[in-house]
Amino acid sequence: MTAIAPVRRSVTVVSDPGTAFRVFTEEMAAWWPLLTHSVGGADAVGVTVEPRVGGRVVERLRSGAEETWGTVTEWSPPTRLGLTWHPGRAPSEETRVVVTFSAVGAETLVELEHTGWESRADGAAIQRNYDEGWVLVLGAFATRAGAAG
Amino acid sequence: MSYESVLDALGDGTRRRLVEQLRGGPRSVTELAAAFPVSRPAISKHLRVLSECGLVTHETSGTRNLYRLDPRGLAELRRWTEQFWDDVLGSFADHVADTRPTARRRPR
Repeated sequence: MTAIAPVRRSVTVVSDPGTAFRVFTEEMAAWWPLLTHSVGGADAVGVTVEPRVGGRVVERLRSGAEETWGTVTEWSPPTRLGLTWHPGRAPSEETRVVVTFSAVGAETLVELEHTGWESRADGAAIQRNYDEGWVLVLGAFATRAGAAG
Repeated sequence: MSYESVLDALGDGTRRRLVEQLRGGPRSVTELAAAFPVSRPAISKHLRVLSECGLVTHETSGTRNLYRLDPRGLAELRRWTEQFWDDVLGSFADHVADTRPTARRRPR
């Protein structure tokens, strides 16, 4: 099987990396386009990054329910944030997102890499339930959410 | 062909497994059907859905109908994913520019 190329996107923000990292994580609810890029759409009222390895990225709905988008796998302020990523999907369908923050002059280059489109190499998991081995469909990840918006 | 139809097509476990099989190379319906506990006509129907959304293509070679992955369907998902992150990162950059008083606005 051939590997599927990562999705890479980037943006430059007008702040130092420390501020950028803090805003990205602590203030996510203030800037994430929840209406169009969430599981709940118009019912989404917030999103929080729990600031530690093993913490969740969790969307809160008007009803009080929660949707876990992923789990923090790397927490290295102010340079690097790693997440598993499976909004609207079971954790077994996770993909991976890494966001890095690099100073470029007085600004910060924010680079995002989204990988993990292939089946996991975890043979045991695949034997347990074939569908657990499948993550390609997450080419869509937040997908349903975005489609609804 | 759209990412919605690609996602809908992949919403079915049998179709996901068919795509997975085809990632290993082109296969005939017979070969594909042998790997599944469903009838050959059922497999053909699933393959038709996958073809319609651009995930799978097929060619006739003699009496054999060979199915293979079509990169167009996955390209559609990739474009959607790129747009998703562009929207998210753009919103982030705007927020930083709007809330950091000393910061100047991000050039467009």
